[in-house]
Amino acid sequence: MTIIPWGLKSATWAAFSLAFLSCIWSADLRAAGGANPTLDDEVFQKEAAGDLRGARSLLEQQANTPGNTLASRDLALFLDRHGDPESRQAYRKWADEEQDPSLRKLALRELVLLDFMQGTNTDLQDDLARYRSAGGDDLTPPPQNLKPPYSTILIPGPFRSFARMAALSPDMPAQDLLPALARNVVTNGYEASGNELLQQTEYMRLLVRYIGQARELQAMANKEGKIAIPTCDSEQTGALLKILGYRMRGSCGGDLVLETVNATRAFLTVDSAFPISELEQDLRANHPFELPYAPSPVPVLYTAQYWMTALGRPGQGDFIDAFLSDPSLARLYLGLSHLDRATAEALRSQSTPAKLKVYAHVLDFFGSMFQVQNGAAVVPGSPKVWAGLVGVSPSNPGAFFIKLIATDDGWLASYFDALSRSRGATATYLTQPDRMKRFYDALRGKITSPGPARPVFRSSTELMLLTTSLYIDPNGQPHVPGDLDVWRNLFIHHPNGKYDGRLTRSATTWRTSDDLIEALFALSRKSVENEPLKIFLALNDIDRHRAKPISPELASALVSAYHTYGSQYAVFADAPNLSEPSIQHYVDLMSETASIRDVLLKSDTMGSLQSVVELWRILCRQGSIAPEAQDASFSKLIGPFGRARGGSELFDADRAAVESLLASAGATKLSPQESLTELLVGKIHAPANAPNSPVENFMRIFDAQRLVSIDALFAAADHLGKGPVDPKLMKNLTEQLSRLEEAETVRGSLSAPEKSAYVPGYWSERHITQERKTNFDNLAKGNERKDVKATLAPFLRDSLVGILYSYYAPDGAQLLLANPLFVRSHDFIGPDGSPAIWRATQVAGTGWPESAGGRLAGSLISLPYAIAEAEQNFLTPKREQALIWGDLVPQMIVDVTVNRWRNISPQQVRWVGLHMQRGEALLAAAALNSEVESKVMDALRRYETPGDVERIDDRLRSADFAHALGQLPPSILYSVAEDPSLKNVSPDLPSREIAEMAAKDDPELLPASISRAFGTPKPTLTHSYLPGLLYLRTFPALMGYSSRIMAESWESNNLYYAALADRVGVPVSQLDIYVPDWNRAAIENIFATHLEDWPALLRSLKTVSGTVMQSVNQPVTEATSSLN
Amino acid sequence: MKNILRIAGPLALAGVAACVWLRAQDQNEDQTTFHVKVDMVVLSFEVMDTHGKYVNGIKPSDFKVYEDDIPQKVATFAEGNRAPVQVLDNGSTRAVRTAPVDGANVAPPGVADLRQDASGTNVFVLFDTSNYMYRGFVYASDAIADFIRGLDRADSIAVYTYSRNLNRAVPLVRDRNRAISGLRTAVAGDDSALYNCLLLTLRDAARVPGRKVVIVFSNGPDNASMVAPDDVRAVAEDEGIPIYVISTSEVNNDPISATIFRRISSNTGGKNYFAKTWQKQVEAFENIREDLGNSYTVTYYPQPNPNEGFRRIRIELTDEAMRKFKIRARPGYRPQRGF
Repeated sequence: MTIIPWGLKSATWAAFSLAFLSCIWSADLRAAGGANPTLDDEVFQKEAAGDLRGARSLLEQQANTPGNTLASRDLALFLDRHGDPESRQAYRKWADEEQDPSLRKLALRELVLLDFMQGTNTDLQDDLARYRSAGGDDLTPPPQNLKPPYSTILIPGPFRSFARMAALSPDMPAQDLLPALARNVVTNGYEASGNELLQQTEYMRLLVRYIGQARELQAMANKEGKIAIPTCDSEQTGALLKILGYRMRGSCGGDLVLETVNATRAFLTVDSAFPISELEQDLRANHPFELPYAPSPVPVLYTAQYWMTALGRPGQGDFIDAFLSDPSLARLYLGLSHLDRATAEALRSQSTPAKLKVYAHVLDFFGSMFQVQNGAAVVPGSPKVWAGLVGVSPSNPGAFFIKLIATDDGWLASYFDALSRSRGATATYLTQPDRMKRFYDALRGKITSPGPARPVFRSSTELMLLTTSLYIDPNGQPHVPGDLDVWRNLFIHHPNGKYDGRLTRSATTWRTSDDLIEALFALSRKSVENEPLKIFLALNDIDRHRAKPISPELASALVSAYHTYGSQYAVFADAPNLSEPSIQHYVDLMSETASIRDVLLKSDTMGSLQSVVELWRILCRQGSIAPEAQDASFSKLIGPFGRARGGSELFDADRAAVESLLASAGATKLSPQESLTELLVGKIHAPANAPNSPVENFMRIFDAQRLVSIDALFAAADHLGKGPVDPKLMKNLTEQLSRLEEAETVRGSLSAPEKSAYVPGYWSERHITQERKTNFDNLAKGNERKDVKATLAPFLRDSLVGILYSYYAPDGAQLLLANPLFVRSHDFIGPDGSPAIWRATQVAGTGWPESAGGRLAGSLISLPYAIAEAEQNFLTPKREQALIWGDLVPQMIVDVTVNRWRNISPQQVRWVGLHMQRGEALLAAAALNSEVESKVMDALRRYETPGDVERIDDRLRSADFAHALGQLPPSILYSVAEDPSLKNVSPDLPSREIAEMAAKDDPELLPASISRAFGTPKPTLTHSYLPGLLYLRTFPALMGYSSRIMAESWESNNLYYAALADRVGVPVSQLDIYVPDWNRAAIENIFATHLEDWPALLRSLKTVSGTVMQSVNQPVTEATSSLN
Repeated sequence: MKNILRIAGPLALAGVAACVWLRAQDQNEDQTTFHVKVDMVVLSFEVMDTHGKYVNGIKPSDFKVYEDDIPQKVATFAEGNRAPVQVLDNGSTRAVRTAPVDGANVAPPGVADLRQDASGTNVFVLFDTSNYMYRGFVYASDAIADFIRGLDRADSIAVYTYSRNLNRAVPLVRDRNRAISGLRTAVAGDDSALYNCLLLTLRDAARVPGRKVVIVFSNGPDNASMVAPDDVRAVAEDEGIPIYVISTSEVNNDPISATIFRRISSNTGGKNYFAKTWQKQVEAFENIREDLGNSYTVTYYPQPNPNEGFRRIRIELTDEAMRKFKIRARPGYRPQRGF
C-alpha cells in the first residue's frame, strides 16, 4: 500500500463506475499533492524488513492526525493486505472521515467487496446500503436462488465413519463426495479375476461389510437417532458388543476391559473409528453411553431413481449398494459430474442412462472439456470439420457428444479433448481444417481397439504431451529442430529399433513439417514408448530459448545420441547460451567417459564431471554466472576432463573445474569449500543462521556423510608425501576415514539370509572398499607407491557429489543424516543387465534388504527429484494417510529445492501478493456484478474446464466465496489477475497499485522475471530444471513415464507462498528458511481422496496459511515456527 | 547461590544444542535443578543373578561405568521408575529435579513435555498397521491396550502407528485412556516402512529428556523403507534408547526380520519376542513392563576421550559377591559431533 501514490487524494474519483474507472487510473492525480514519499519509503522499508508492527505504528500515527484521510486510507489498505481483522474498521474509518465523495465511494466499495469475501452478510447489507447512498450502483448481492441438480440419498451411519472406510476426505464439499466415491470405486474397487470377470478388492469388501455393520448399528438407534446404552449390565450392551465384535473381560466395574471376540467385526469397528474406547470407559464407570447414529444425507446428482434405471433396477434396492456394485455406473456418475449442467442435460436428453453407461469410460476420461453454448457444442476448430469427423453436427450438441464418445472406442474423444486443451498458436496450427482430419486419421490408425480409455489411467499420454508441448514458430509452422531431413533419417533408419514400418516407408516422401507431425500423431497411439516424440520434444526444448536454433548437423548428432545420453539434454535446455561446439564437446565427452575401461575410474570420472556440471547449472540458474559468460565457463569447466586418463589427471581436472567455476561466479576470497557453500546456500557465519537454516542443514548433511572438505583434499594433494604435513589436516583426513570405517562396520553384521537378499551396487561397494583401504599416514610419509592425487580422486568425487546431495536435501531430510554411506553409494554404473551410465537418476530399490540401505543410481541429471523421492516417506501426514504421495510430493519438494527463494526482491513478493489480492477482488466483484462475472468466467475458461468454471460461478452466486476460492489454484488466480482482458475490469486498489508498480518499468517485475522467481521446474514437460510458470490447466492422471506431468502442471505453491510471505511480512532474506518449512507443512497436511484431488492441496495450503496468520501478531520468526 | 558447572569436551551438538553444559542451580540445600542438554549419556541396564532373576537394590557405589576403559563420573542414578537422585563425589546421593534448558525445544512436534519430574519411563509404542499386520490388527491392538493399562503410573506413553508413513496417533501422555483411545482409532494402511518410521520415532524419543524406550510391535517385513535397520540401530545406540521388538510372526517364517530384530534389540539394550498369539503378545508386554520396573538408569557426561568413533561402554559391579551377576546394557555409542 505504501506504493500507492499519495497524490491520489484529489483524483477524479467522482466518475467512479465500471465504465469509467479505467480512465481514472490514468488521470493525472499527482498535482493534488498530499503524498509523503519519505513516509512511503519508510513504511515500505519496515515491511520489507518484516517489521509490520513498526510500519503499522507509523501509519496509525499519521491516520490519527485529524483530517489526514489519506493516511486512513493507507492504513486500511495496509491492514487489508496483511489480513488484519481490523481492516474493516479501518475502511469504515476512512469512509467516515473522507470528505471527497468519490473517494468515500471507493472506500465503501472496497468495504463491500471485503464483506462479501469474508461472508459477513449483515455487514454486507449495511455497507452496501451505505455504498448505494454514496452513489455506488454497480454492485448487487447474488440472487442465491440456484437450484443445483441434486437430490439427497441416505447412507447408513455417521458420514465420518463412512468416509474413513471409503477413503474419502471428510473435508470436501458435500456434492463432491459421490464423484470422489465413484472414482474410488472405479480405480480401487474391483480387479480382474482369473475368468476376466471383475471381483471386489479388499477395499470394496471392507466397505460393503462396514455398510452392513452400520445398518445393524443404525437399527439399534432410538427414535432420536442415537444408540443408547443405559448401564453396563443392560440388555443393549451385549447386543451392541456383538455387532462391534467385542466382549467384556471382567465384570462391570473398574476392571472391565473390552476385548476382541470377532476379528472381522472388530476390525471394522476400529477402522471406522467407532468410539470403542469411550464405550469401554462408560461401561467401566457404569455411565450411560450415547452415540448419535442416524443415517447421513449426501447429495446425489439428479435422482437416485435415475441411477437405478441405468442399472436396470428402477425402484429396487438401496442406492448406495447399487452404486458400489457396478463400476460402470460409478464411472457414468463420475463422467456426468465433470460436466456443466447444460452439457449434461444435452447428453441426458439424447440417451438413456443405460446407453450412456456403455461409454462411461470415454466420457469420464475425455468428456471434461465438453461444453454447450448457445445451443451448440463448443468445438476446437471448425464445427464443419467436427461434423464430418463425428457424423453429427455440433449444432445438435447432445447427439454430437454421444456420437463422439461412441466413436472409435474413444480415440476421437481423446483427440477432441487434446485439441480442446491446446492453446494459442499451437491450437491455431492443430485446428486448421485439413490438418484436423489428417492428424486424426493418423492417430486413429486402422485398428481402434483397445481405445485410450480402457486402462485405469488415460493411455493417451503421448498425445497430451504432443498437443501441449508443440512449439510453433512465428511463421505458424511447428518448429522442427535442425531440418526435416534430420527427422526423416530418424524414421527411415530408426537406429534403436523399428518404430512403424508404414511410417518408415512414408518418411521417404515427407515434404513439410506437417508430414513429421502426422507421423508423431500416428506414433502417439502406440502403447510402447514413443522415442521419436521424446527426441522431438527434447530438441524443441533445447531450441525454445536459443537465439539461434541448433544446426541440422548438431540436431542430427543429438538425435543419434539421444538413446544413450538423452536424459542429459536438460543441461542444454537449461542454458540457451551454450554454443554448438560446447554442446558437441559435452556429448563427445560423455561418450569418452563411457568408454573408460577401468570401471572405478570411469565411475569417479562420471561422478566428478557430472557434479561440476550440475554445480555449474545451479550457479547459472541462480544468476551467479551471467548468461553471456555461461558458454565460456562451461567450456573451461569440462575441457580438462577430456584429458583425464587416470586418477591423478582426474583430480587435476576436478580441481581446475572447481577453480574455474568459482572464478566464473566471481568468488575469489574464501577457500573453495566455503566459497561454494556460500554461493549455494548463503553466508556461513551469518548471525541469523537458525538451526534449520539452509547453511546449517547443508553443513550438517555434508558432515553426516563423512565427507572430506575439498579444501582438505586440495591441501592433501599439495602436501602428502612431500614433507611435513599440517597435523590438523592429517587429523581431519584420518578422522573422516575412521568414521567411514565405522559406518561400514555397523552394517557389517548382516545375517546370511540378509546377505543373499541384499542388493548393493557392485561398483559402489568397490568404490567404498577402495576408500576404506586408504592409509593417509602412509601417503603422508611417502611409504606407499600410490599416486597421492589418484588416491584422493575418489574422495574428491564424493565430496563434490556430496555438496549436491546436501544442497538438494529437503527440509526434514532423514535418510541423508541416518545413512552415512548414501552419497558414496551412488551407483553411476549400474548392474550389468541394467546399466545406469548417463541415465536419469533413480532410486534403487526400497524395503530391506532390497534397498541395501538406500542408494541412488544413474547420473546426477535428475538428482533433485530422486532425493525428493527417497526422502518423501519420512514426512509424516498430520491426518490419516495421504493418498497422493506418488508423483506429487517429490515434485512439491523439488519446487523448493530447485527454486531456492534467494535473490528475490521485496517488490517481487509485493507484486505477487497484489495479484492474488486483485484476483480475489475480481472474483468477489464477479459475484456482485453480472458484467464482471461474464468477463471473469470467460477468462477462467482458458484455464479451467467448463464444469469447474460453472461450479466456481455457482458458489459465487451462492455467496460462498470461500468455497469458490477453494476451487481455484493460485496460479490461475494469479493469471486471471494478470489477464490483459481484465485489466480495466472492476478497477480496485490492488489493480491501482499493480499499475503503479508496472509503470516503474522494474525489470524484476517483467513476466519472465516473475516466472523465474516463483515458477516451478518441469523436467518432464520442458526437459529443463529452470523454474518457470506456464499457467497450465492442471493435467489429469496419466499412465506411464509421463505420469509426472500431472504433478508438474500444478504451479501454484510458490505463488501461494510468495503471497503468504507478503501477507505475513517475511523479509526476503529469510524466505529460504521459511518457505521450505511451509512447503513441508503443506505436504504433511494434505488429505486427498484421489490423484486429481487438487482442492485437497488447496485446503492444505490454506491450513498452513491459517496457522501462520494465526500467529501474525507475533514476531514473524514465531509465526513460522508454530507450523510443526 | 548459583553453581554452574560447564562441561567442556568434544561433544558439542549441532543444531538443537550448540554447547554442552549442565547447570546445577541450587534452589535450596536439598534440591538441585538440572538443566539438561541432549548430549548427556543416558544408560539403562539390568542386573540379573545366576538364575536370570532381576537383582534389585543396587546402589551407585556398587558399580562403575567405563567408556573405552575410562572411568566415568555418574551424575544421576535411578532404580526402576523411581525418581533419579544426584550422585555426589563421595558416592552419596540427593534428590534432583529436572527442567528443560532455557529455550531448548526438547519435546518433538506435537508432543507435550510431561517430564516435570524425572521418574518413570517415556514409552514409545510403534504399531505396525500395514497390510502385513492386517489379520492380527485387532488382537494386537488389544494386547497393546492391556500393556498401556498396566504401565506404572509414573510412565508416559506415546502411540505411533506406521505403514508407508509414520502416524503420531497419540503424543507422549500420561493419560492412559487417551492413549488407548488414540490406539483404537488407528487406520489400517498398505506398505510397510518399518525402519523409516522407527528412525522417526527414535528422533522424537531422543528429544524428550529422561529415560525412554521404543517398543516395536510388528509383523516383520519391510517393503518400503529407504534406510537400513543397522543405520537406525546406530541412532538408537547413540541416543541410548533401548528398542524392544514384539514380532507377531514365527521366528522361522521370516528369518531376515528375526535376525534384524535380535540385532537391533540386543545392541540397544532391549529385547525381542516372537509372539504369534495374543497370549504370547500379552506375555511379551508383561516382560517388558518387568524390565522397565527392574532396570537402573544412570546419566553421565563423558570424560575427555580422543575416540570420536564408537565408544564401548562397560559396567562393572564393584562388590566381589556381585561379580557373578550378569549385566545387560547397550554396548556403546558414537558421540555426536559438530562441524
